[in-house]
Amino acid sequence: MADAVAVTSQIRKRKSVGQPLPQIDSAEKVKGLTQYLQDLSVPGMLYGAIVRSAIPHGLIREIDTSRAERLSGVRAVITARDCPGVLFGPQEPQDWEILCRNKVRYIGDEVAAVAAISPDVAKEAAALVRVEYQELPAVYDPFEALKPGAPVLWEQHPDNVAYRFHIERGDLEAGFARADDVFEHDFYTGRFYHGQMEPMGCIVQYHADGGYTIWTPTHLPFRSRMTYSKGLGVSMDKIRIVVPPFGGSFGMKYELNINCIAALLSKKSRRPVKIFFEREEDIGAGHPRMGLHFHYRLGVTRDGRFVAKEARVVGTGGARTFWTPPVLSTACYRIDSLYHFQNVRTEGFLVYTNQSPATCFRGFGNAEALTALETFIDEIGERTGIDPVELRRMNGVKAGDVSLHGWRIASCGLRECLDRAESVSGFRNRKPPPKIPPRRGVVRGIGLAAGHHISGNRIIINEYDGASAQVRLGFDGQVAVIVGEPDIGQGMNTVFAQIAAEVLDVDPASVRSLPIDTLVSPHGVGTLGSRGTTVAGRAVQLAAEDARTKLVSLAAELLGVPPQEIRLQSGSAVVASGGGSLSMAELGREYATRYGGAFLIGHGHFTPPTEIPDATKYGNLSTSYVFGTHVAEVEVDTETGATRVVRYWALHDSGTIINPSTATGQVHGGVAQGIASALLEEVLVKDGRVTNPNFLDYRIPGFQDIPEMYVEFVETKDPYGPFGAKSIGESSLNPTAAAVCNAIYNAVGVRVHQTPVTPERLWKLLETARTEARKKE
Amino acid sequence: MRIRIDLNGREVEADTVPHRSLASFLRNELGLTGTKLSCEVGECGSCTVLLDGRPVTSCLVPVAQADGRSVQTIEGLGINTQMHPLQEAFVGQNAVQCGFCIPGMIMAAKALLDRKPDASSEDVRLILSGNLCRCTGYQKIVEAVVIAAREVQRNG
Repeated sequence: MADAVAVTSQIRKRKSVGQPLPQIDSAEKVKGLTQYLQDLSVPGMLYGAIVRSAIPHGLIREIDTSRAERLSGVRAVITARDCPGVLFGPQEPQDWEILCRNKVRYIGDEVAAVAAISPDVAKEAAALVRVEYQELPAVYDPFEALKPGAPVLWEQHPDNVAYRFHIERGDLEAGFARADDVFEHDFYTGRFYHGQMEPMGCIVQYHADGGYTIWTPTHLPFRSRMTYSKGLGVSMDKIRIVVPPFGGSFGMKYELNINCIAALLSKKSRRPVKIFFEREEDIGAGHPRMGLHFHYRLGVTRDGRFVAKEARVVGTGGARTFWTPPVLSTACYRIDSLYHFQNVRTEGFLVYTNQSPATCFRGFGNAEALTALETFIDEIGERTGIDPVELRRMNGVKAGDVSLHGWRIASCGLRECLDRAESVSGFRNRKPPPKIPPRRGVVRGIGLAAGHHISGNRIIINEYDGASAQVRLGFDGQVAVIVGEPDIGQGMNTVFAQIAAEVLDVDPASVRSLPIDTLVSPHGVGTLGSRGTTVAGRAVQLAAEDARTKLVSLAAELLGVPPQEIRLQSGSAVVASGGGSLSMAELGREYATRYGGAFLIGHGHFTPPTEIPDATKYGNLSTSYVFGTHVAEVEVDTETGATRVVRYWALHDSGTIINPSTATGQVHGGVAQGIASALLEEVLVKDGRVTNPNFLDYRIPGFQDIPEMYVEFVETKDPYGPFGAKSIGESSLNPTAAAVCNAIYNAVGVRVHQTPVTPERLWKLLETARTEARKKE
Repeated sequence: MRIRIDLNGREVEADTVPHRSLASFLRNELGLTGTKLSCEVGECGSCTVLLDGRPVTSCLVPVAQADGRSVQTIEGLGINTQMHPLQEAFVGQNAVQCGFCIPGMIMAAKALLDRKPDASSEDVRLILSGNLCRCTGYQKIVEAVVIAAREVQRNG
């Protein structure tokens, strides 16, 4: 506990950490000066367009590119013949081809590509490429795809299982034997599109040494080079990735095949090539969150202890594997670090189907699992007569606990979040749900759900986990933070600036963050797994401390006092007892004078206390763990089934909050996306074709759909992150859909088992319940 | 065709094709990339500019329609380093995350404040409902516009 005391005593002195400062790059953004990928061009640049499969499944008989090649303004046309022909991809199984060789597997699969002098010419040329197919039967439903005799997408996977997950801990049968009650629950979370405001895109330039420069907003510039390196057949160090500001991503822009397509177009045309999607392509051929089916069986003792959990999780992965295998794993077992289930067995199946490949989305499978589980716990509370909040308190993890799978929970504010959520929202005094749904009128209901997440994940890159950073002092005294993890729009650079400013006691608004370029940036694992603030932020803190040590010793020498006499204070180094000070600019210049013009640079690296899981998947996966509780109040129109969230409360333990304003903004945005997933949005696919590939038909929530929210942070003290900070980006979304579904139950007395809860779906459930009630009368 | 517009208070003349969208004209021919393109069907508001002071989704407006009229874009807001109260409030409230929707959002908000300087948060939620943002959940945007409204009123 010595740590906790030390941290508390520092709080009083903090100037930057804990301040609600504006994002350091927002002045550029509000003036329209930020250059996103959409705004970038490179001299001589061509525009690429992709020829996509028009059928869901079939063999390629012939591709005729001659008419496209003859079109004026076309500079390159490529097919599989121009590709190295190796299967590659970001995860196992590796099943990407840059362009389809023999077979297409979804409507939108990439068959050929063109580069031309304008986007219009490129589009026209793409339409001139003729592809002859021999059509094959297709399969869209994962349960159909798992049946013997179903159409097979990949001959290497005759059962259509791309990836299988299995975990078992304890003695499941003995656990169920101890249970007084066994409950079962099914839930389906629908296919959900990221809806990032800037569609996907890239610019790629081929170089004389066989390498490429790729401008693309990616969460993982360093790691994605491994994927592209294999696909393009060049060594990783010949791929340079430059990361422009993000126009949103939420997981969409991890690693994309378009980078390889543009690379080969550039290689063939010897010109830089830009591919930038229109919205229809971004939705129709994009990579949404996969649909997930959950089946749970949970054994509970009379007093409410969970003693056994059996689960089956089936994911509709689509035709290829993006980041779906770890999403499926996460959906299978991360919840075992929120509650002690004691004995578990989970089987997961990632299934190939003839739809566009899904990928990760903020929440990474855990949001979906929590939607299924937290609605289940609400129902178990109802059926056992035990308060569902009490069930969560009783079974929830605590600080110091080790989960079934060896995850070490160093800090945990779950109970504080539950307590505060109950008291601020009035959930404790809720009315019981109606026995029969009312026939007409608008009714209100309130629902609660808990959630958690990681802060960093061990197995993003197998060999190591952690982050490195540099903190550099310029000749003008300006401090620059240099990391390898890109700010994805959430404000991470601002958090890093505040961390460095805190350590060095400079004005955080003056700290700049350097853009990410794999050629010059320090290596970074990436901005994913809610690791930015916690893992990279800790490296920034350590780098700033190293810079501070160097500054203090330089100042001490110059001012002729021992180093322990020097304090860094408001942008200067001063002698504590009075009598002399030096500005940061003076120190920066003096350092350069002494060392051949060198910048003063502090170095830091952080290796988190994480472990590679063993063969049974046992081992601490994350630096720290975050917790939260959400309460939603909804209005349901009982005649139409239309549901609106009218009030909302979000309580979070994210450790020390570095910036309460940006952290609150993360919660607002996460909840808005959670509400969207609960009520509004689903990528609709009919016979393999997306039927709502635009913002007219795929409605993302607007001002009227999202209520005002109450956000509160319950600050626990975590030993690992910078100043005790943990993550917020994903945990902010995770409990939302379950809270909304539970509120719907409280309003109308009907359980939903599928998201989104569209008016039509809810109306059918209400009608069924009303009809059954009438029959009983 | 040759068109003439009053762009951010300055006369601009250019040759263009009439069916080109105003958004594309601004971005590709004049190099004013502050106006963003996101949905290209007039549903998201990212490309909002003011045409004779009224907000339009410039992805749907043929450039010919702007001929002889005034167009205000995000680049015309604020003078040099000085920001418009809306821009200040968006920064101050952290109403900006990725920022891609923000130029359009601010232009729509400017049209609102020009017409209704005492806009309430309900007004903002109603009148800006054609502008979509995926990052912020809207709350801080509402707060920023209301704060800017107060600022605009105070300074007449």
